[in-house]
Amino acid sequence: MQIAVNIAVLASIYALICCGYVLIYRATRVLSLAHGELMMLGAYGLYATASLFKGHPLIALAAAAGLALAVGLAVYAALMWRMTGESVLAAVLATIALGILLRGAMMLAFGTLTQHPLRDLGWENASIGLPGGARISAVGAALILSTGLVYGGLFAFLRGTRWGMRMRAAGQNPLLAAQRGIGLHGIYALSWGLATFTGGLAGMLIALDAGLESTLVIIGLKAFPAALVGGLDSLVGALAGSLVVASAEVLLIQYVDPLLSDVVPFFVLLAMLVVRPWGLFGTREELDRV
Amino acid sequence: MSAPLLRLEKLEVTYHRVITAVQGVSLEVAPGTIVALLGTNGAGKTTTLRATSGFIGLDDARVTEGAVVFDGERIENLPPHRVTALGIALVPERNKVFENLSVAENLDAAVPRPGARRRRSIELAYEIFPALGRLRRREAGYLSGGERQMLAIGSALACAPRLLLVDELSQGLAPLLVEEMMRRLETVRAETGATILLVEQNAQVALEVADYGYVMENGRIVLDGTPERLRAHQDIREFYLGTGGGTGRRRSYRDVKQYRRSRRWYG
Ligand SMILES: Nc1ncnc2c1ncn2[C@@H]1O[C@H](COP(=O)(O)OP(=O)(O)OP(=O)(O)O)[C@@H](O)[C@H]1O
Ligand SMILES: [Mg+2]
Repeated sequence: MQIAVNIAVLASIYALICCGYVLIYRATRVLSLAHGELMMLGAYGLYATASLFKGHPLIALAAAAGLALAVGLAVYAALMWRMTGESVLAAVLATIALGILLRGAMMLAFGTLTQHPLRDLGWENASIGLPGGARISAVGAALILSTGLVYGGLFAFLRGTRWGMRMRAAGQNPLLAAQRGIGLHGIYALSWGLATFTGGLAGMLIALDAGLESTLVIIGLKAFPAALVGGLDSLVGALAGSLVVASAEVLLIQYVDPLLSDVVPFFVLLAMLVVRPWGLFGTREELDRV
Repeated sequence: MSAPLLRLEKLEVTYHRVITAVQGVSLEVAPGTIVALLGTNGAGKTTTLRATSGFIGLDDARVTEGAVVFDGERIENLPPHRVTALGIALVPERNKVFENLSVAENLDAAVPRPGARRRRSIELAYEIFPALGRLRRREAGYLSGGERQMLAIGSALACAPRLLLVDELSQGLAPLLVEEMMRRLETVRAETGATILLVEQNAQVALEVADYGYVMENGRIVLDGTPERLRAHQDIREFYLGTGGGTGRRRSYRDVKQYRRSRRWYG
């Protein structure tokens, strides 16, 4: 039972992170390799707002979330708009450079000490008992809840709203989208904004649960196989991929060796690339474009 | 005669900075008319329409000379979504629908020209192409060629255009369906008041609905006139309509030496 809870929490973490990969990839065909760093930046955003709005944890959270959205839009406006829709390789390289720069800047600005934003917000990570004897931390429960809300919101947005449809349309056929009056830069900026918002949210929640340190970037990288296993251009796939990777990871840690934790996702990824390179829910031709 | 809605002036379009596909094309489209742009494969018809509706970065194409003037405003090298906002909608030759969206979503995704009534434009698309109503929930990737063409025109209409550009209406359609679609274009003009510029290989059907026609070859306009005049022209009869020449065999345009044609057209 505890194992199921652990899988659910880890899968939620991965899913919350990797919807960002999917959002950006679907719209722009670019793999953002700065996602882990942007996630960490989101967490540091919370660290900053927590000391700024002392005694108002909810305001601090909301401000940090708003900040993450703004950062995503800014990254697109300042850097990526020159590259998306042109050369995919140049754009991917740019995200790598951006990631390295961000990591260095965060190290300079915030140091290398582990921070505890949860304490700064004045909250405690209570342990909640579940029927069946399992336990889940309050932040763990919040993670599952947030992931559910984010995915629910994304599905509703993409399926049910006109701008969501336009986002899907631009991902499938950017030229036709432009000819139908859809401004591609607006769509791309929105994708970056949403991706950085959800990634930042994941970063904040992980930091609340386990403290904020540089290993956060590794978690961001570990979520990437989950996105690829799911098929990169599918949100349903991202959910399924996260579940697969998280299950493999939790089970192997439990029954084989805890040291495996960091390699399992990439092992799953390799296995997947051999058997079904376009992912569980991906479109077959998509892989050529990576 | 009233001022033209669209005017191309000595338009020159270059792909990848080296390939000049259109060299000095000038043409005019008067408001409320249907104008046909005819020509063989590779003549530069698609390029002319695309230059009017705008290129995106991926195209790596530019208008290098001349002007595109729409309703008195110069629009060459504007991005496509701005051109659409001005009231020009293109039905492209290929990749004309969003395959991962349903028929209804394809129509909804189109951004109408500012000031136009969105609902009404979409209703009109369903009225002119009733088949789309029955296919509302069908994913566009599964549509047949004819259904795709109807959806493509319908979703262009959802942009509430003042000028509709149609590239190869007849492509891949059965002859009966082609005539049917041409009549629908006349309905479109009657219902929306839109002006239509139509690119066609099938001169016969195009000249039936058009008020005026241009013939393009090797990136240039080589002939223009009313349908009566074009139909009567020896070369058009010979190469496009297959009714002239007297040999009984339909000859290809390319069979005739270039100099002979130019002499006839320019001389
Ligand atoms: N993307 C491109 N890059 C390079 N050259 C191109 C491109 N598109 C078209 N061309 C060239 O420009 C010329 C005109 O092409 P265009 O597609 O405009 O012709 P067309 O009249 O529409 O022909 P068709 O009747 O076959 O559709 C051709 O020689 C073609 O090879
Ligand atoms: Mg063409």
